[in-house]
Amino acid sequence: MEVNTSNMILEMKDVSKAFPGVQALSDISISVVEGEIHGLVGKNGAGKSTLMAILMGIQQSDTGSISISGRTFTTMSPQQALDAGIAYVPQRINMLGSLSVAENILAGEMPTNRFGFINWREVYRDAENRLSQLGLKLDVRSRVEGLSVVEQTMLVIAKAMFSNARLIILDEPTAALPRSEIDRLFGFVRNLKNKGVAFIYISHHLEEVFEICDQVTILRNGFLVATQPVASLDTPSLIRLMVGEDVKEFERTLPPHPEVDQPVLTVKDLVRRGHYENVNLTIGKGEVVGLAGLEGSGAAALAMGLFGLDRTGLGSVTINGKSFQASEPEQAFRQGVAYLPQDRYQYGLIGIRPVRENITYPILNRLTRLFGLVRSDKEKQIVQDYIDKLGIITPSMEQLASLLSGGNQQKVVFAKLASISPSVLLLHEPTQGIDVQAKIDIYRIVLELSQQGVAILIISSEVRELLGICDRILVMYQGKITQEFKVGDPLTTPHDILLAIEGGAYVAE
Amino acid sequence: MEKNRISNFFLFLIDNLIWVLVFFALFIFSILSPKFFAPFNLIGLFSRMAAIGLLVIGQSFTMITANFDLSSESTMGLTAMVAALMMVTAENGGWGLQASPFLTILVMLLLGAGIGFFNGMLITRFKMNNLIVTIAMMMILRGVTYGLAHGNSPSFLPAAFDWLGGSSLFKIALANSKKLAIPISGVFMILAFIVAHIITRYRRFGRNMYAVGANRSSAEAVGIDPAKIIMAVYIISGICAALAGLLDAGRMDSATPRTGIGLIFVVQAAAVVGGVSLFGGRGTMIGAFGGVLLWGILDTGLNIIQVSPFWIEVSRGALLLFAVLLDALRVRYMSRAAIQKALTDNPIGLQDTAG
Repeated sequence: MEVNTSNMILEMKDVSKAFPGVQALSDISISVVEGEIHGLVGKNGAGKSTLMAILMGIQQSDTGSISISGRTFTTMSPQQALDAGIAYVPQRINMLGSLSVAENILAGEMPTNRFGFINWREVYRDAENRLSQLGLKLDVRSRVEGLSVVEQTMLVIAKAMFSNARLIILDEPTAALPRSEIDRLFGFVRNLKNKGVAFIYISHHLEEVFEICDQVTILRNGFLVATQPVASLDTPSLIRLMVGEDVKEFERTLPPHPEVDQPVLTVKDLVRRGHYENVNLTIGKGEVVGLAGLEGSGAAALAMGLFGLDRTGLGSVTINGKSFQASEPEQAFRQGVAYLPQDRYQYGLIGIRPVRENITYPILNRLTRLFGLVRSDKEKQIVQDYIDKLGIITPSMEQLASLLSGGNQQKVVFAKLASISPSVLLLHEPTQGIDVQAKIDIYRIVLELSQQGVAILIISSEVRELLGICDRILVMYQGKITQEFKVGDPLTTPHDILLAIEGGAYVAE
Repeated sequence: MEKNRISNFFLFLIDNLIWVLVFFALFIFSILSPKFFAPFNLIGLFSRMAAIGLLVIGQSFTMITANFDLSSESTMGLTAMVAALMMVTAENGGWGLQASPFLTILVMLLLGAGIGFFNGMLITRFKMNNLIVTIAMMMILRGVTYGLAHGNSPSFLPAAFDWLGGSSLFKIALANSKKLAIPISGVFMILAFIVAHIITRYRRFGRNMYAVGANRSSAEAVGIDPAKIIMAVYIISGICAALAGLLDAGRMDSATPRTGIGLIFVVQAAAVVGGVSLFGGRGTMIGAFGGVLLWGILDTGLNIIQVSPFWIEVSRGALLLFAVLLDALRVRYMSRAAIQKALTDNPIGLQDTAG
């Protein structure tokens, strides 16, 4: 065996994966050596998740091979991946929160005395020893749910180390972490790196990629664009590699609403400590405004706050000139604000109820007659109207909502929101997880609503999508609206928007 | 598409399985014993099941919102006892107030509603666990009933009070010169189910009940106040329990401190076997009615063919297990179908996460 491959931990060769209708990965090769922190970047849908799923044995590649520490696999089960030393640290940590740190570390191998009782003194001593070997100081007796997010992340990494992980995948570990916590995490990661552990670091926060990674691999639409040392790149050039020549999937042909200068939603000096500061924005009648930002930038918090799912903070919000305040969704509804949640399963749909009921929940009060009986003829007519207008594909309006496809479920949620004729519509990742055709249908629906004069704010991580449907795009970075882009302006390029999202300055080219 | 139709048919079948079971049970017992299918027996079944039917309605209301009311059997016992004590003379075990039956019924209903309000308050305002709250109330109310009764079973109630639970509406002459009386309690139960059906199916309140039970956070996001809905279903459950007490005391012409004991298990089983989901958000009043019928048919049928009471108890337990299994299967089938759907549209199993 050659010297330079002896410390090779991972080598994925020509990995391809197709799903019905999509080539998710095409001939991806990537290698990671001992003590390397390897960045993996790309826009949503670039193939990062699929590649990692294959590496973890969750999905099988169609072609190609994976070598881990010299053992080569063509197919691999999750257990084989674990045994080979691959560990995954998810963005949202999932541990036994109500148990102590020590119990989480030693779960399944608690030392017992000769009567079979757990020897707690031994448990704590052992856990403390193990953590100190990794240079991690945590109170082993405290409950995991009492630890900070970064401590939990470090604990998961430590646990992976105890089960002999040699390559640890960190998936967006810093989302919504303050700087001091990030430093702590990075210190820990570097410490392990010096011990020879390798990392794959997935992040949308490019400055962190530059800070901690040695190499970076860029994926775009399932293809490998480049693997380069980070030292040879800077943020603009990395973004250029991520974006590439963009193919627009949708372009609006409609002009802005004629009364777009008439403000509908006005937000003045809105401040919520730790989430956003000095937010000022105005959305006119029928205007479609995009709001882009990384996780933790404050964009999501702002939308949830406006809808009453979260606190709004201090400042003034007016809708059509009237002062607006909502601490509960019901109040927001009554004042004409509707919100499409990112998680449609939790906040949008009532899966085990029929499509018909899902659409009319917010307007039932208008559909009732004497004794609170629902006028079912009128209800059915309204529902049928929406099914036709939005092109909801369903065998009947009595079909249970959870049995529809993702795109059609999203249309049902749209129908529900449209039914209250809102003045302001807040959309949070409206096309996440739905197929291309349904996406285009959703864009049409959004534009149709804007033609009716609804002021629309779209929060999306898909810059391409925002460029396709918005009149303007605002970028939020660390709680502030930092830049504004006019769509249609030749100076507004995906590249510049992504740069602004990453906190970079706007440079006219 | 073909597959879709099969899965829809399967769902339809499993949702209406209760009626298959009801007819199957009727058929089997009719074969096993000629006495079973006699009009007297079938009619009698309705009057015996009337109180249970009312409890099932109340239980189904709470279960649709993903809650339970285990205290309803004790609410039934307490309201019946208070009513009997108010009306009956001292020598027959009462307080000797000889209160008017109408006033008494009003007091019963208010007491039931009050207990429901208290349950609802603890559960919604103080966010206490519904199961434990209502178990605690089941014990407390039963204890109060024993305490008030002083070991008596007040009997000989006024005829006006007994009318609903114990008398018959009209008599139908049969061929063998016997007369078949239609029990008012049975008719009342059917009417109650019809009203409950209308409320759950056609009223906004009913819709909101299902929404709260199926997905509380989504319900909140469309402007429904779950606390209000849950409070209301507990009050309804309390009133239903009081009506059950009225029917039972009327039928027996007395109230005992043990009135209603153990019924909660029967009630749960009937509701669940009728398709009311333990997980909330699913089930109809028609199905629940079927559950009541099935329970009544099994109970009387097994009695008529002289199965030992021990085995009757075993069969009850088996039916309850079967009902819960069915419920679990339905929920599992639904979530699997939904996951399959999600996977076919969105091939990338893991979601990319980004701001």
